Amino acid sequence: MAEETTAIETVTCTIDGMEMTVPKGTRIIDAAAMAGIDAPHYCYHPGLSSPAQCRMCLVEVEKVPKLVPACTGQVADGNVIRTQSENALKAREGVLEFYMVNHPLDCPVCDQAGECKLQDYISAEGPAMGRLKEPKRVLGRDDFGGDVLFYADRCVMCTRCVRFMREVAQDERLGVVQRGSRNVIDTFFDEGLDGNLWADNIVDICPVGALVSKDFLHKARAWDLDRTPSVCPNCTQGCNIRLETRDNQVMRIKPRPNEEVNSHWMCDFGRLNYQWINRGGRIEAPLVRDASGRLSPVSWSEALTKLADALRGSRAGAKAVVSPFMANEDIGALRRVMEQVGGGSGVFRVETGEEVTLPGFPSLKLRTDRAANVHGAEAFGFTRTGDADGNGGIADLSSFDGTLFVLGDELADVDATFGASAGLFVYVGHFLAPAARNAHFVLPATTFAEMEGTFTNVQRRVQRFWPALQVPGMARPAWQILGVLLAGIGDEGAPGTAADAFHALGSVRPEFGTLQWADLGAGGALLPQPAAVGAGTQG
Amino acid sequence: MSGHASAAEQTDPTSWPTAVANPGYAGDTGEFPQLTEDDIRGLTYVGLRPRDGGHASVAGTLPYQVAEKRPADPIFVGEYEERLVKVLSRYPDRQAALLPALHIAQEIRGHLSAETMDEVAERLQLPPAYVRGVATFYTMYNLGQVGKYLIQVCTNISCNLCGGDAVFEAFLDATGADAGAVSDNGLWTVMEVECLGACGFPTVVQINDRFFENVRPEDVPAILARLT
Repeated sequence: MAEETTAIETVTCTIDGMEMTVPKGTRIIDAAAMAGIDAPHYCYHPGLSSPAQCRMCLVEVEKVPKLVPACTGQVADGNVIRTQSENALKAREGVLEFYMVNHPLDCPVCDQAGECKLQDYISAEGPAMGRLKEPKRVLGRDDFGGDVLFYADRCVMCTRCVRFMREVAQDERLGVVQRGSRNVIDTFFDEGLDGNLWADNIVDICPVGALVSKDFLHKARAWDLDRTPSVCPNCTQGCNIRLETRDNQVMRIKPRPNEEVNSHWMCDFGRLNYQWINRGGRIEAPLVRDASGRLSPVSWSEALTKLADALRGSRAGAKAVVSPFMANEDIGALRRVMEQVGGGSGVFRVETGEEVTLPGFPSLKLRTDRAANVHGAEAFGFTRTGDADGNGGIADLSSFDGTLFVLGDELADVDATFGASAGLFVYVGHFLAPAARNAHFVLPATTFAEMEGTFTNVQRRVQRFWPALQVPGMARPAWQILGVLLAGIGDEGAPGTAADAFHALGSVRPEFGTLQWADLGAGGALLPQPAAVGAGTQG
Repeated sequence: MSGHASAAEQTDPTSWPTAVANPGYAGDTGEFPQLTEDDIRGLTYVGLRPRDGGHASVAGTLPYQVAEKRPADPIFVGEYEERLVKVLSRYPDRQAALLPALHIAQEIRGHLSAETMDEVAERLQLPPAYVRGVATFYTMYNLGQVGKYLIQVCTNISCNLCGGDAVFEAFLDATGADAGAVSDNGLWTVMEVECLGACGFPTVVQINDRFFENVRPEDVPAILARLT
């Protein structure tokens, strides 16, 4: 074995009675977090520099005469740190009382109520009574442009937003102006945040309700929301997000930290592009064309039995259009169905747009392809077609007379005769597009927000998402529909869970076989490059 | 024109001067031995405290006191560019040079408008929002129009005890201006300020860049007459 020449230097300290060894240079607040202790803080954010501005994270370090701000103080060997000592608690109580001098008590109407750090800390360790007899200052509110509103009275001057715009967005449009009690965050004269694609992140990192989203304003209370970990479906970056839902509607999207993909950030395009997930008018039952040519609702068993009967033994081949908003499991299952009926070619169409990089975290971009699973579709041998708006490119399919599959694509741009000449036209999707009326089988599928599955992002990272919404009517995940169909026409069992469906992907694309469902976790796992997988790989 | 920025700096207004040995504070008049007393003191130096207040050593600053503000003039050309280059050479980074750069801009234009801040930001390659944050932090920068003479009367404790409020009222009466506003003839802006740091000589009044000490209400007309 080679000698270890790059051993990390460590220091040993005691935090609240817990002895621990951390790398040299670790900040006290990070060390405390490793020990499971949450030192109160406003200005500290793991993705930004620490100015020790808010004075909330003061902790006592033995033999140090003054309290130390945990966000800038580094752990030294032998430190005995107390986050809950009498001195530290007293200091924090004083800081909180100071904040409350001017902070308005508008929690009942504040968007941040329920996820407000000031509310939390005041409730946990704030002073019972304020001593101030003067009226509070009133600074009013301001429209910062873009999606951001600023309520100056609520601001605690942590400057996270200013530092985000300076260090991460590198588009310094926010500054601290004036001094002393007149101190306020402001945009530079008339130049607001309009046109900066990353500005909404300052709403996420604001520890109080000073910066709020116009889109979410007064829409829901934080404690009424259900939060489901998911993956942003709006471009191939695949930012880790939380879908925040209420009444079976997505109310907002928030980024979920993943240092490999999006750090703590996401773009406004993805964040605000969620209304389509809430869209109504879904197909709610399997429809099968009967003898009179009408599509009539039937049970799942009847629909899939009929479809399996129609497909069984067929080796005529098929063509397919898939949507890059469908999961790996869905697209892979369709590929397996196509191979079962003699193979064939498939295409996908995707809307494209300008690519925008986040300068402070350059691997995070709003990607050109505005759909989550373009790379998954490509991995399963589907080829790109159509124009930049995600239209066109499938005209040749309207005269195709074999078996035609459409998975998820809404066929919004094709005329009503699309697929009329197909021998068998199977539409697995969400909405009854005019062109889908020609289908022999219309099978209702769930969107990514209603099912469990995975997307493959631009780094070829396979990332899981979880169901956040209830399924409309009888809709089922497409991998389940196609899996049952496969069981009907082949000799294998149907997948019972998304994990089964995922593991079945290895049989069509060996690189997927190298990943285990259990290893994907919350952060996803990278696919090996196809070349490294060796023989058996197609397209 | 001699003494202007070198050709390279003119073609690239954002160029960063190379680090050189500290040439001294901006505005150094040169080696002392070669200068006569007149060169150093200025022609108006009389060797005595002026009758209307202020320290004898500032008698030579009178020309600055009465200089016109020219809000439309360019701020970093000619001798001002030279001064800025000297300023830049004193500091390790551009941020630190921002305060003197803003002072140069204010010296020429009288106040720092949004456009002026933009120009300074562009010259120093700093974000405009940062420049605005700094300019609004320090009270010595005027963010709005002021008169040709900005009269700042100290009314903090020492001056207050020695009649600062009466001096302030006397200035308001004599100029006819409202507190903090520009007088109708454009000459005067009178404002109260916190401590000017000359508590030994109350009441202290700062007019433009110059201190007037031991000011009493009855001195006010003479001071204004001397300025105009």
